[in-house]
Amino acid sequence: MQQAQISTFLKRFFQATNCPIIEEKNGYFTVQLTVEMDKELMNRPFYWHYLEKTGGTPNPMKLTFITDSKEAPEDVKGEWIHFGSPRLHQIFAATKKMSSYIRLYEQTAASKANVPLHPWIGMNVTISYICDKKKDQTYSLGLHLINGRIVENFQEQLEKIHLTPKIPDFCFTITPLITPKSGLTRLKHYVIKKIEEDDHRWAEEARERMNADLALLEHFYEDLDEKPSVYWTEKKAIQELYEPRIEIEVHNGGIFYLSSDSIIH
Amino acid sequence: MNINIRYKTTWEEEFLQRLKEDGPWANWELYKLAYEVTNYLSIPSFEGLVAPLHLDHVTPLPHQLEVAQTVVEKLNGKAILADEVGLGKTIEAGLILKEYMIRGLVKKVLILVPASLVSQWVRELNEKFYIPAVEQKKSYVWEQCDVVVSSLDTAKRSPHKEIIHGLDYDMVIIDEAHKLKNNKTKNYEFVQNLKKKFCLLLTATPIQNRIEEIFNLVSLLKPGHLGNEQLFHDMFKKKGRNIRDDEHLRELVNKVMIRNRRIDTGIEWSKRHVETIWIQFSKAEQALYDAISQIRSSFSIPTSSFSILTLQREACSSREAVYITLKKMLDKKDEAPQLPEKIIRNLMGYIDQVTKNSKAEKTVELIQNINDKVIIFTEYRATQLYLQWFLKQHGITSVPFRGGFKRGKKDWMKDLFKNRAQVLIATEAGGEGINLQFCNHIINYDLPWNPMRLEQRIGRIHRLGQERDVFIYNMATKNTVEEHILKLLYEKINLFERVIGELDSILAKLDLRNIHEHIEDIMIQSSSEGEMKIKMENLAAILNFGEQLQQAENN
Repeated sequence: MQQAQISTFLKRFFQATNCPIIEEKNGYFTVQLTVEMDKELMNRPFYWHYLEKTGGTPNPMKLTFITDSKEAPEDVKGEWIHFGSPRLHQIFAATKKMSSYIRLYEQTAASKANVPLHPWIGMNVTISYICDKKKDQTYSLGLHLINGRIVENFQEQLEKIHLTPKIPDFCFTITPLITPKSGLTRLKHYVIKKIEEDDHRWAEEARERMNADLALLEHFYEDLDEKPSVYWTEKKAIQELYEPRIEIEVHNGGIFYLSSDSIIH
Repeated sequence: MNINIRYKTTWEEEFLQRLKEDGPWANWELYKLAYEVTNYLSIPSFEGLVAPLHLDHVTPLPHQLEVAQTVVEKLNGKAILADEVGLGKTIEAGLILKEYMIRGLVKKVLILVPASLVSQWVRELNEKFYIPAVEQKKSYVWEQCDVVVSSLDTAKRSPHKEIIHGLDYDMVIIDEAHKLKNNKTKNYEFVQNLKKKFCLLLTATPIQNRIEEIFNLVSLLKPGHLGNEQLFHDMFKKKGRNIRDDEHLRELVNKVMIRNRRIDTGIEWSKRHVETIWIQFSKAEQALYDAISQIRSSFSIPTSSFSILTLQREACSSREAVYITLKKMLDKKDEAPQLPEKIIRNLMGYIDQVTKNSKAEKTVELIQNINDKVIIFTEYRATQLYLQWFLKQHGITSVPFRGGFKRGKKDWMKDLFKNRAQVLIATEAGGEGINLQFCNHIINYDLPWNPMRLEQRIGRIHRLGQERDVFIYNMATKNTVEEHILKLLYEKINLFERVIGELDSILAKLDLRNIHEHIEDIMIQSSSEGEMKIKMENLAAILNFGEQLQQAENN
């Protein structure tokens, strides 16, 4: 993530959370937090607790971010922010926490006739392949709740459509034929099928590494009839280190009502 | 496909709930941002390092990146990092830890380091790596904090030991791991009983020559990698002591150990300038020294010859140092006396005659000329105190530093030296474990007899990160033991010109770790100056031979 991307990301984040940017100059900007965002980011529960008890006037903090240390004047006091900053990762976490579930409607250009909107479930998933190493795969999937079609790169296609949280005039939603619950099951099966089709030499290799270490351990203690507790501790640790496993996590998703020709692929 | 798949259902359940209750629903812009975050944070490959992308306060050097990558990709996160001193093993360990933490493979971490380095590790992990490491101060920290730094001495004691052994660690890092070379010690047993997945052992001491030591260390990391004790004994120990002779064993060791040498890294080091400053005793000082030397010829009990040698060395340092030692002898006279009381009283008389310290005067002159930060090393606490007083008389600010200081005090002294004082006066033990790159002048007020300790002194300032040339001044008094040591040992083996770590590997190769004992032996046993010279030259010749062996190997 480049500095310019980080800067854009932060500005979009604070705009979306209604925190006005009160100063913006070369290489830095200052944002006025709302009470809600102060509670989310500034980690001062005692202050807010005290304020609520005494009924004082809330005074949420301002935050200054330095996004370009070369451009920013030296006397600016603020937080230098980059891809590894704990602050950025805190904001990442807050973003995810605040946006796990959504419902949106397509804003069609229709002006008179009744336009039907089709229900879709969209979800963004990470599959992690874990042993003593780890890699992730992300999928953005969409399921048409009428005909059961599943499409990939759903999010990218959604972002090309004009979406709104309220159902637009002259539109109506079609009732799903597939219940959301069974829709979720279909999506889960789709993900697992994807995994099964994948190449799993990584897991075999991890087990080979595990067995090699376990064989060494057996050998190390082979002269002892009664194994000491260290043996069992080490054995368990080796198994936990290498044993391959796959974790699937849905980050966010929601229900989307789209006109019939919006999602093609 | 027989792999356990875990599908987290928390999202699904909540989603169905919200559908039923018609919200609340997220803002579309935030939803899009969250999707971007997911993509920024997902790591699509088992291979490669992502940690460097997250670091901005430290730019790892190529050899450090290579080490980190090898440990993660090829050594399954179990490795002995054995780079030569000053190549940045801490950075390598930090990189590896960071990589695993970013990938979500490591959460619970135990870092065991010498007491003097605890706060430095905590600071470096926090500042350079954004790893929220904490120093263990209260016993609840073990359980409540994820990344804990402690000294091995604290950790192995009750009640800490029991708490730690009850925890599952994703990663254990041990600095100065050569302290675990003996498998009969409490330290060893403590570490062996840790439950750990990934493990890094850091050591600068080349252990490859000591076959049992390497066996013990590797067995902590990967039990059985070098066989079990019996088999190992039969296979390797009986055949000879040197691992280098055994191709197979060497290969095995190289599967868990990474050692970079300075010459391999291609890093340009700042220059080192060495200057010897000869001191001429005043009459009274010479009289004291001679009086001590004379006892040597009139006594021949071996125990007291060691004491006499010590007194001689102290006389080259300060009369205060001699006085403290003599006073201790008097106080302990119920035990077998090291020297007859009459002689001690006589020497005290000589001490009273000494009115100035020629070395200290020269030192003040030198510090005034340097006009920059200086570290003075002395072997004696009495000299340390005296120098502090003496420098103050001349308007020079100084802070003391001793190995015995508590952690916090060490840090405080270091900060005072960095920000307020011109001079740091350190005794030997204080020489280990702190990095003082911001200073580039060292005065060796007296010379240690173990060249390794001298190397550690220099290593405090001549390391990665030292951008200026380094100046080393050796104060040696003419016609004393100091002259012998300096001329015959240090000058013959070119110690001051050597890169740090080189001497260590030579001594290890020759199995001569206890070199200072040999030197003491020569000094004590020689009946004449000529004999001493010859013996010292022999020793120097052996060291030079070791160096040739080393060079032959490097080529």
